[in-house]
Amino acid sequence: ARSDEGVGRRPRRRKRGCAGGARTGAGGALEQPVKRGAPAAPPYREAKTMEAPPVTMMPVTGGTINMMEYLLQGSVLDQSLESLLHRLRGLCDNMEPETFLDHEMVFLLKGQQASPFVLRARRSMDKTGTPWHLRYLGQPEMGDKNRHALVRNCVDIATSENLTDFLVEMGFRMDHEFVTKGHVFRKGIMKIVVYKIFRILVPGNTDSIEPLSLSYLVELSIVAPAGQDVVSDDMRNFAEQLKPLVHLEKIDPKRLM
Amino acid sequence: MQREEKQLELSLEALISQVADLKNSLVSFIYKLENEYDRLTWPSVLDSFALLSGQLSTLNKVLKHEKTPLMRNQVIIPLVLSPDRDEEIMRQTEGRVPVFSHEVVPDHLRTKPDPEVEEQEKQLITDATRISSDVAQKQIQSLNKLCSNLLEKISKEERESESGGLRQNKQTFNPADTNALVAAVAFGKGLSNRRPPGSGGPVQASQPGAGAIIAGASGIQQVQMSGASSQQQPMLGGVQMSQAGQPGKIPSGIKTNIKSASMHPYQR
Repeated sequence: ARSDEGVGRRPRRRKRGCAGGARTGAGGALEQPVKRGAPAAPPYREAKTMEAPPVTMMPVTGGTINMMEYLLQGSVLDQSLESLLHRLRGLCDNMEPETFLDHEMVFLLKGQQASPFVLRARRSMDKTGTPWHLRYLGQPEMGDKNRHALVRNCVDIATSENLTDFLVEMGFRMDHEFVTKGHVFRKGIMKIVVYKIFRILVPGNTDSIEPLSLSYLVELSIVAPAGQDVVSDDMRNFAEQLKPLVHLEKIDPKRLM
Repeated sequence: MQREEKQLELSLEALISQVADLKNSLVSFIYKLENEYDRLTWPSVLDSFALLSGQLSTLNKVLKHEKTPLMRNQVIIPLVLSPDRDEEIMRQTEGRVPVFSHEVVPDHLRTKPDPEVEEQEKQLITDATRISSDVAQKQIQSLNKLCSNLLEKISKEERESESGGLRQNKQTFNPADTNALVAAVAFGKGLSNRRPPGSGGPVQASQPGAGAIIAGASGIQQVQMSGASSQQQPMLGGVQMSQAGQPGKIPSGIKTNIKSASMHPYQR
């Protein structure tokens, strides 16, 4: 398409020698800004067709493997944080203690159905050069009393920095945002995160923040393919070792609405 | 045959490293107890116990792992017993076992308990199998009841005594905070500007209106740049109208865009 449009206008102004180079287009900028019917704005170049995306309520899969997140949550007061970190440093895999400072934004897409589609976009505020993290979390699967952890469908994607623009163009709207600051530990496939949630006072300004409560949230999670419920037993055993400092349990978010 | 040998070797290595970790934490715990006993606090002791219990459970897990061959099927036979000092064994046991002799072997390679202990265990097992199942059930229930009565008595005593004040300090978590934090992460309770918390309500509520309008304005700019996407404008417009709290301004903006886009972009 490019070469067709160029032929009609270019021959009068360009030297013969350069025509080949201009047609490939790889050499650099063309000599004059060509008015094109195709849009030049980046978000539209990739999309071949634009139609309203159906808001699906089926479980979202990231590729072929359906990954589930198994989750246990609890909290610890600020004054007991040090003893918890000390114990975790002993129990978990021996690695450098890792702290993080993240900014998370939650986007909603209100479709025809009553419940909106939720996507979470997270970026690191202290580590430069890391990709943004887009996460989809499904509804927790309830009902099985033998399962000791909260189980929900989970899709994790690393994205580039224009994620928020992309989501806004898709029709998503930011519902809320917060800053998290804390520590992350690992034991085998288990991930233990201890973090404090900060409310952002001025939207978009991550410097004016205040803590939401006087406690740190403690989350023990495993992301594993669907069907491996035995991991919840491992999680329960690990949670036993953190008592009585922290009570990690399966908390149903719907109960707290 | 070779695969089993390899499996055995690998699992033995894993076991040895686990046991070495366990030994190290025991050593440090003993050191702490012997040298720092006047400065020792109960949480520190609890930490050491928790560490030991964690390592024991990983050891158990390694033993129960499906790739670990049954150690029960392996037999260890001492081939040479000599009363001379053996440097190799000294090195491997860090000086604790200098001689591999007749005194040392029965203790280190033991697989069964003492004869007296074994007798007692056999006695208990025959007793247990002799009584009928409902008698056993009654015994279990009475044990449970005794335990719960005892627990109640202890908690009542703790509540009424003066050490109740001490117990407040030991509280390391607040369940109400747990619920608040989980609700905040799950659906933004207390975080969203549209559902403001108790303080600072009206100030935050005016800002999302401005934010949505800015998003709408930038969306309109991109629509002007693209030109040929006239079918998409009504959809975007619809979405923006639902977002912005001021529908009066934005629809007129879109109408002008449709007019400009109706000019064919290829006309010169």
